[in-house]
Amino acid sequence: MSEMDIHLTVNGNPHKVQAEPAKTLLCVLREDVGLTGTKDGCSSGDCGACVVLLDGRVVNSCMVLAPQADGARITTVEGLAVNGQLHPLQRAFAETWAFQCGFCTQGMLISCYALLLSNENPSREEILIAIAGNFCRCTAYQNVVKAVQQAAAEIRERGNREGIPHA
Amino acid sequence: MHESSVVGQWVSAPGAEDIVTGKARYCPDIQLPGMLTGKLLYSPHVRARIKNLDVSKAKDIPGVYAVITHADIPGENSYLYAYPDQPLLAVDEVRFQGDAVAAVAAVDEKTADAALEAIAVDYEVLSGIFDPLEAMKPGADQVVAGQSNVMMQMTYTSGDVEAALASADVIVENTYRTQWAEHAFLETEGGVARVDDEGVVTVWSSCQAPHRDRMQIARSLGLAESMVRVITPYIGGAFGGKDEAHVQIHAALLAYAARRPVRLIRGRRESMLTHVKRHPMIVHCTTAASKDGRLLAVRARVIADAGPYSNATHEVLNKFGEFIGGPYKVPNLEVEKIAVRTNNPITGAFRGFGAPQAAFVYESQMDDLARKLGMDPLEIRLLNGVETGTQLFTGVVVREGRAMKASLRKAAEMIAWEKRDQCERSPAGHLRRGWGMATILKGAGLGRGLADHAGVLLEMHRDGSLVINSAAADMGQGIITLMAQLAAERLGLDLSCVRIDRADTAKAPDAGASCASRQAMVSGNAVLIAADEIRDTLLSLAARKIKVSKDRLDLRNGRLLVDGEIHDLTVQNLAERASVWGYPLHAQSRYHLEYPDDAPEVAYRFSSEFFQFCTQIAQVLVDCETGQVKVEKLVAVHDAGKIINPGGVYGQIEGGVAQGIGYALSEELVVVEGHTLNASLENYVIPMALDFPELDIHVLEMPELAGGPLGAKGVAEGPIIPTAPAIRNAILDAIGKPLYQLPMNAERVLAALNP
Amino acid sequence: MNSPQYIAVESLGEALKIKQEQGAHARVIAGATDLILRMRDRVFSPKLLVDLRQVSLDTISCHAGEMRLGAYVTLSQILADDEITVLFPALVEACRQFAGPPIRNLATLGGNIVNASPAADLVPPLMAYDANIVLASSAGERVLALAEFFTGPGQTVMQADEILTQIRLPLMPPDSASWFIKLGQRRSMAISIINLSIRLTLGAKGAVSDARIVLGAAAPTPLRAVAAEALLIGKELSDQQVDQAAVEASRETSPITDVRASRNYRERMTQVLVRRALLASWDDLGRSGRNE
Ligand SMILES: Cc1cc2nc3c(=O)[nH]c(=O)nc-3n(C[C@H](O)[C@H](O)[C@H](O)COP(=O)(O)OP(=O)(O)OC[C@H]3O[C@@H](n4cnc5c(N)ncnc54)[C@H](O)[C@@H]3O)c2cc1C
Ligand code: FES
Ligand code: FES
Repeated sequence: MSEMDIHLTVNGNPHKVQAEPAKTLLCVLREDVGLTGTKDGCSSGDCGACVVLLDGRVVNSCMVLAPQADGARITTVEGLAVNGQLHPLQRAFAETWAFQCGFCTQGMLISCYALLLSNENPSREEILIAIAGNFCRCTAYQNVVKAVQQAAAEIRERGNREGIPHA
Repeated sequence: MHESSVVGQWVSAPGAEDIVTGKARYCPDIQLPGMLTGKLLYSPHVRARIKNLDVSKAKDIPGVYAVITHADIPGENSYLYAYPDQPLLAVDEVRFQGDAVAAVAAVDEKTADAALEAIAVDYEVLSGIFDPLEAMKPGADQVVAGQSNVMMQMTYTSGDVEAALASADVIVENTYRTQWAEHAFLETEGGVARVDDEGVVTVWSSCQAPHRDRMQIARSLGLAESMVRVITPYIGGAFGGKDEAHVQIHAALLAYAARRPVRLIRGRRESMLTHVKRHPMIVHCTTAASKDGRLLAVRARVIADAGPYSNATHEVLNKFGEFIGGPYKVPNLEVEKIAVRTNNPITGAFRGFGAPQAAFVYESQMDDLARKLGMDPLEIRLLNGVETGTQLFTGVVVREGRAMKASLRKAAEMIAWEKRDQCERSPAGHLRRGWGMATILKGAGLGRGLADHAGVLLEMHRDGSLVINSAAADMGQGIITLMAQLAAERLGLDLSCVRIDRADTAKAPDAGASCASRQAMVSGNAVLIAADEIRDTLLSLAARKIKVSKDRLDLRNGRLLVDGEIHDLTVQNLAERASVWGYPLHAQSRYHLEYPDDAPEVAYRFSSEFFQFCTQIAQVLVDCETGQVKVEKLVAVHDAGKIINPGGVYGQIEGGVAQGIGYALSEELVVVEGHTLNASLENYVIPMALDFPELDIHVLEMPELAGGPLGAKGVAEGPIIPTAPAIRNAILDAIGKPLYQLPMNAERVLAALNP
Repeated sequence: MNSPQYIAVESLGEALKIKQEQGAHARVIAGATDLILRMRDRVFSPKLLVDLRQVSLDTISCHAGEMRLGAYVTLSQILADDEITVLFPALVEACRQFAGPPIRNLATLGGNIVNASPAADLVPPLMAYDANIVLASSAGERVLALAEFFTGPGQTVMQADEILTQIRLPLMPPDSASWFIKLGQRRSMAISIINLSIRLTLGAKGAVSDARIVLGAAAPTPLRAVAAEALLIGKELSDQQVDQAAVEASRETSPITDVRASRNYRERMTQVLVRRALLASWDDLGRSGRNE
């Protein structure tokens, strides 16, 4: 079948790829853009391993067809660190053992990152709701809550100190 | 020894940064030049004769590089866990939904799919055998022609159960049923294989046992093991489900046939239909006690559905039998273990290895017994619990058993067990609250008489940095961190100076499988031995150089210490010296889990010598109109011997509890006539974040020096084991009705309420 | 899966023209959360996917006593809308309990309707609010009661050349209360075993003047339990009335047994949950009565 030109801005970088319309954004990111941080745990919307930010909203990239994302801004786990500096969430996840095998981690990170963009001090319940579509078989969710709250505190403090807007 | 700077500290795992940045490569992320996509063709029938298999059309499709059937396998056409009875590719009959008949490798997924579709298989559908109770009857149709459907039947007896039952004051006798359960590791099974110009086959395998993979791959390719190399990249969970080989052998066969690299990854549905499941069991159990609550006898008979092939069935039932007495003094015990072949899904290793099913039985029996006797569940457990020095019914003497009662008491304290009646029992007309406990023991290590060893290779460079080469697979459980910590501790290094690669059979000696909660003990000890050898060389050099005796020296934070005082010499200086003078700073060691010389001969085969104890108490709220159970709170007290890597220990406990809650309440593969109807993460219901209770974890440290490094024990399996019976007993407490079947989903709870 | 072609149309007219020419070979793609799975399972194999995301079908507006939601409105949009939260709480509750955040950002109201799953979570509340839907074709528009839309699992009266463009929700009369309950196997990411929505409106004398009881996953299509509704209309609410209506509602169902639950359980739960929903709404009405 005929392929289409798809334009994406992934983690700030423009990409143009050719893809069949039925190809999912997940496959495009992994195969055509070459970013394999985003994982495939089910290809059916059930696990959240493939979650990315699409124009600022968290979505399952396995549930988006490539042409639907044409022209969109995508943020993947590879885009969280800035100039080699880990985002506070990334550090907190590593420090609190918010994962073991790490296969769910990129999706979790993106869901939590999106939460922190709109909520600078999320409660336990708010965090659990934010990750209600992210499945973790190894570690469950308590340490994720811990990690998000630790990162949120750090971002608030840094924001106050440096006078920058939060997150 | 000084207080530790690395051991027992919350440190980030080596590799954690790769994970949080997305750089960590798992099998599906591996990309090799010219790599093909591998796929397997499965039978649509659970039992059929293959009358004809024609792959010629598939071979003709442009872009298809290899199509193989059983006839194309150069070596042995079977998996080999213990018994080689499951074919890699079916020969003349398919016996369950996961039997593959052909494998293809093609330029891309679409072409591979087209190739699968072009394979013509002519099946003669046969009627399947699905009920183990029917299948075990004499004269039943045989699942594997010429072989009895009773795959194993063994009875172990200790004491005189008959006499004890006759003299008992109270007896409880029940039949329990458990379900097929799915590991649902988030990364499905996968393998990537490449054959190089010298004919060496390299396989990246998402597995738990790289050296056993190597053996199996070589055996099926008809090659010497020296021609096969297995590397484990990052692994997205396993829980026993990748202990047995899966598609890595097929990937190697395809790469060998196509002479191009091949990546073969199972899809989620395919994964759920094909790999081993936790054994469903029917257990009939009789427990007898005196009127003061002392256990007199246990008699259990288990019938397990094995599916058509052995896999780890013998081993799982062996462990079921070993633990059916629980952490209790049981003077008389008889256990009969029966495994039956059917055309249902294959079954095998899954975290706990038969112990979760056993615990559901014995801990339910304990609460039923307590009710009959009018005793408190805590009291009856404390009364019968093992202690240090107790001889179990298996004959094994518990060397360090304090944690049994300590964990019970601690858990009771954490949840305020004595004061639970001050809580609201019925917050609304249809709601009932209840509390239930379960306490367990589980062996760590494979068991007596089994080769339970691990080797490791350490090398320090002249700049003081250290490389650990180990072939212990890390599926997320944290063995890599633990090894790095132990080496850093002994050599006075910062963790950042220790590099540890993922398991590679070309670089590291055999460490055995990452299963049975064993790696922390065997690989952990092996690292200590090797690190101590290097340490000794460094300290000898230092002693010679500064002319003080070696026993006054120590290494810490990269520095030499003399009588505890920091000296000018650094570990790096010493390493440099060693290099200049030609002293070797590499060490290879091997640790064998030894059963102490004074251990008595034990009748129970392959029994464990070291035990993890743990207690969990659940608080549940039951909706008596819908049957829904909410776990409101759970406390978990586990004995880790000594905590080396707290992040890993707490993570393992939390994850185990989460899996235990699913096992208790909602996880069940619905299998009808051999076909799994809910092979998706949508319909196989695993609790998610919002279903997770408030969880309070406490870790006991009661070092067992004869076992693991610094007294540590494995904690991988314990946490999943008590959860289901604790919840079952809490439901019993809430509604006054016992349940005997897992999972205790809403319909079953409602049925218990309204029989 | 043979890949279809894809077009992001620039006007509704363009989409309608395509549908007129290609009929069922052209399929509307909205959030794609159902469509991708159906195409993979080959339930449908469209030749062309028609994306209307540039056509402003994702707007929410209030017109003379009526809320109008475009077919492409996502669940997250509904959750973020303050007016809907106040005016149609049962719909909002259904959105809150729907899947998880990433799916809610994709899934659309129109997709949930046209997909026509008997277990669709948004349909019972929409029907309880007497939703009308607008179906457009190149011949014009027709407005249809949502209750008349479904004919079976995955089956509707929508014609091959039609596109769902809008959902219209009349505001509830004063003295009304509505409720949504979902029974699933977990608190997120669950397909309903049973879901239901009810609306009660009280008349001048305090008797029930109008009632809706709509059940999901209880029959081949979302089901209005009209006999149960009739038991309530014209009566003052009482425990006995509520119990009777709940029993009647459960009699009206014809659920199936599947991997999630048995037929028997679904029937029983209908009764339990209809009762709960009625009591909760009654509570709401009572409370607002007292407050006034
Ligand atoms: C992981 C997961 C969880 C889910 N959880 C739930 C849940 O909790 N509750 C629930 O009810 N559903 C659930 N669903 C199902 C699905 O998300 C919903 O039905 C959703 O509302 C569909 O909307 P969509 O925009 O994605 O539809 P699409 O997939 O884009 O479309 C669905 C169907 O409707 C047609 N269509 C869409 N819009 C129009 C239109 N305007 N005119 C004509 N035809 C149209 C399409 O051609 C297609 O046939 C879940 C799905 C997944 C994958
Ligand atoms: S891979 Fe997309 S949700 Fe699982
Ligand atoms: S860490 Fe393995 S799935 Fe979450």
